[in-house]
Amino acid sequence: MTLTGMKKHVSILEQAGLVTTEKIGRVRTCRLGQRRLEEEAAWIEQHRQLWTARFDALDEIVEDLNRKEKANATSQRR
Amino acid sequence: MPQAKEGSSAAMNRTVVERKSDHELVVMRTFDAPAHIVFEAWSKPDLFTRWWVPKSVGMSLVSCNMDVRTGGTYRLVFSHPAFDQPMAFFGTYREVIPNERIVWMNEESDEGAETTVTFEELAGKTRVTFHERYPTKAALEEALAGSAEGLPEQFAQLDALLAGNS
Repeated sequence: MTLTGMKKHVSILEQAGLVTTEKIGRVRTCRLGQRRLEEEAAWIEQHRQLWTARFDALDEIVEDLNRKEKANATSQRR
Repeated sequence: MPQAKEGSSAAMNRTVVERKSDHELVVMRTFDAPAHIVFEAWSKPDLFTRWWVPKSVGMSLVSCNMDVRTGGTYRLVFSHPAFDQPMAFFGTYREVIPNERIVWMNEESDEGAETTVTFEELAGKTRVTFHERYPTKAALEEALAGSAEGLPEQFAQLDALLAGNS
């Protein structure tokens, strides 16, 4: 990776709050930022679990309604 | 995040959750039914109450009033064994286009989210996109903390349920 490329990567991580950097002379030191990656992952995981359970339930209802509508359409044609 | 191919069964049942930005949450899923059916399940209170609160979460909907049309309002009251008293959520539907789109504004506080749900039908299947936008990053994080705080054991139950399913 080029130095310019590396600088871009670090600046994106910095904007996201995942790292903080400090430049002293020619050396820039990076540290893990306040917002930790695990926290971010846990946050998404909690939402994923809630929405998966929710949408699994919706899926069942939708399937049921769809089946009823198809059955009605068939019986009306007879 | 790798995307499963459209139309495959993996893509059908997959719930995709993304934190779009500091203050936005997006959830997507494709359902195997036309848009008017998915819209019906989302906009009729008796159907909505059957899926919005997963059983495993331990909460129950005490009442559910929804007048799903532009300018209409909603009011959902939840109870939970750990709550002293029931908790109400309410707001206004900003825009409703039947079978296509529902936009509502949560009004319990100034920090309430604006939510847009779109229903896109393609070849008899419907892709649902749920997009929640909070005014600030802090509001989004507080909303999650609020819902997660009282619910550690419920999330554990949910974990067990999901582990059993996968």
